Amino acid sequence: MSQHGIARSTRVRTEEQKLLEIERIKKYRALEDQVRSRASRTDYTAELFHLTSQLLRLNPEYYTTWNVRRRCLISSLLSKPSPGSSLSRASPSSSPAATPTRPSASSSSSSSTAIPPSPGSPTAGTSGTTAEAGQTKDAEILTSELTFTIPLLIDSPKCYWIWNYRLWILQQIIERLPIAAARQVWEDELGLASKMLNKDRRNFHAWGYRRQVVEKLESAVLEGQSMVEPEFAYTDKMIRTDLSNFSAWHRRSKLIPRLLDERRADDASRRAFLDKELALIREALNVGPEDQSLWYYHQYLVLNLVTTAGRPTIAPALATEDRVTYLTRELVDIKDLLEDYVGVKLIYEALMEYTMYMCQLEERKPDADERAQLIEWLRQLKKLDPMRKGRWEDAERDYGLAEPRFTIT
Amino acid sequence: MAGTASALPDELGLVASAHVRYIQSLDTRKDEYEYWLTEHLRLNGLYWGLTALYLLGRPDALPRDKTIDFVLSCQHENGGFGAAPGHDAHMLSTVSAVQILALIDAFDELEARGKGKAQVGKYIAGLQNRQTGTFAGDEWGEEDTRFLYGAFNALSLLGLLDLVDVGRAVDHIVSCANFDGGYGSGPGAESHAAQIFTCVAALAIADRKDLIDKARLGAWLSERQITGGGLNGRPEKKEDVCYSWWVLSSLEMIGKTDWIDKDSLIAFILRCQDPERGGISDRPGDMVDVWHTLFGITGLSLLGYEGLEPVDEVYCLPKSTIARVLGDERF
Ligand SMILES: [Zn+2]
Repeated sequence: MSQHGIARSTRVRTEEQKLLEIERIKKYRALEDQVRSRASRTDYTAELFHLTSQLLRLNPEYYTTWNVRRRCLISSLLSKPSPGSSLSRASPSSSPAATPTRPSASSSSSSSTAIPPSPGSPTAGTSGTTAEAGQTKDAEILTSELTFTIPLLIDSPKCYWIWNYRLWILQQIIERLPIAAARQVWEDELGLASKMLNKDRRNFHAWGYRRQVVEKLESAVLEGQSMVEPEFAYTDKMIRTDLSNFSAWHRRSKLIPRLLDERRADDASRRAFLDKELALIREALNVGPEDQSLWYYHQYLVLNLVTTAGRPTIAPALATEDRVTYLTRELVDIKDLLEDYVGVKLIYEALMEYTMYMCQLEERKPDADERAQLIEWLRQLKKLDPMRKGRWEDAERDYGLAEPRFTIT
Repeated sequence: MAGTASALPDELGLVASAHVRYIQSLDTRKDEYEYWLTEHLRLNGLYWGLTALYLLGRPDALPRDKTIDFVLSCQHENGGFGAAPGHDAHMLSTVSAVQILALIDAFDELEARGKGKAQVGKYIAGLQNRQTGTFAGDEWGEEDTRFLYGAFNALSLLGLLDLVDVGRAVDHIVSCANFDGGYGSGPGAESHAAQIFTCVAALAIADRKDLIDKARLGAWLSERQITGGGLNGRPEKKEDVCYSWWVLSSLEMIGKTDWIDKDSLIAFILRCQDPERGGISDRPGDMVDVWHTLFGITGLSLLGYEGLEPVDEVYCLPKSTIARVLGDERF
């Protein structure tokens, strides 16, 4: 119902095509009916679970079916959680069986291959208590669920419901498996996030997923520790593959304050870090000054120099003179860009903005030279970027650069 | 007027009656597989279509009594609404239900024949995470600023915003702000025009627009307009009609719609119409759908396009509806 990028066709369906479509609808609705009537009887069995596999392969956007599938897992397929856990509240169990029922042969066909026990999970075949057996079974079922969702995610990488279901399954893994086993599964998820991001570097579902996975891996629940260093290295890798990947630059900007804190970076190393980042982005801008992604990251670094309030900054101990020196260097370099690139409006935009930052830093108004430059840059912006004319006119007014109609001397 | 051949597509005006017919046809397409595959969006789709019809000045184009029956048939005992009968309750469809009932002035029917306003409010309020202030989409716990906005939208229309912790929710939005002035789906997430809309509109409902970095956000939003006049949702992405709404309404809320070129945006939206069969697509030449049809029309309405009812930039409903429901509270 919200289509993206599908070409409009003027094709008229033939009678035969219409009949085929009606046949297809019949089959779909028959399957849907089966799922619904069982679900309405709260008949959350392995059989219903199997039906949801079929229906979700046809329609992964069918959120209610994902919920039915969860209820099947909770009510009859997975072992019963220990009382008091968050799961026991969420599972209105309708199954009278004290021991969890094994998914029938048909239901395990949700994954066409045999499911290997996840590394670190209790070894199958160990004779032990019912609890251990339950855990082994749970591990199999839950890893099979992860397998089930992969082809669906690859086909529909922007489907919220699949990502959510997968996270829910991962949460069940935490609740039901020993920590070491659960941790291994969660670590493997980083591989999936990377795989999805290799297919689409800007997929914000995949970036969000990666963030959530990392957060959990860092948490005490999985006996984790900080992953800020490897994650920072990951943004490095993504940026080197594609400089224009703003998602990676954004992630980098969010990791930096933590990275420096965790490195216990002193003032000198913070400065060195800032120098390195500025050099990296300067190099990128030298080849791609038309790229907004680069300018936003540059802006992020510059904001670290000029705003001290509110958020943590890269080099908080810099004296105002140092900040001015930094900003001057950036302005000089950006002006140099004008020599190689004619007519790139983003350069003028940065010059204008950063010149105003300079005045802000030094708590003064633009001097005569700056004023003349600002007027010239605004003139260029109006010419090169007439779409945003209103913005340039507002800037002219706000910066006090508009030609006064009547001057009182 | 003798124009050049290349100027021809721009001369296409809004094909309003074709859009009305297109929206009316949506519920008659039961011989199309797609119709059944999209049932999980039925209530949302009804909101999208009906709002478009109201803005086109054709509120009568879908039967009111049937609309009410359908909406109420989607309600669960707990007060929440599913996308269609037999679908689980969810924040998104619950918000659509409330918006539809506000639009057609039928809250009294919700009291008389449905589970009542209070129960709806209770359902929505129950989805707030009282620690962080944000909202889940349903009992399974996915959190996103989309749901926070939806909750604020519906609860304020119902006059029940005091059921939730508005202050905590506002704190959560602030934690989703980025250095570029934009907002993401959660803390740490990249700025995205649709999430910006949800955060800015939620702040507007909470009367906390003072928390927005308007200059920086306005600059970021204005850069969404790219060659050809259309708007994208993030840097270096393609243009798409639905961003005509997310970006433009956000600019409207911070008083900066003059920062983009309105005429070229109007021309872009008009080029995305299917002039024969009605409807608007994401980009020229693509398949139309009711989602892009609505957001093309709301975009045009915000741009002051002739013949359209004015749309409210916060609620995405006609201004007249908001004036009726909220009365003096907001004006
Ligand atoms: Zn779109």
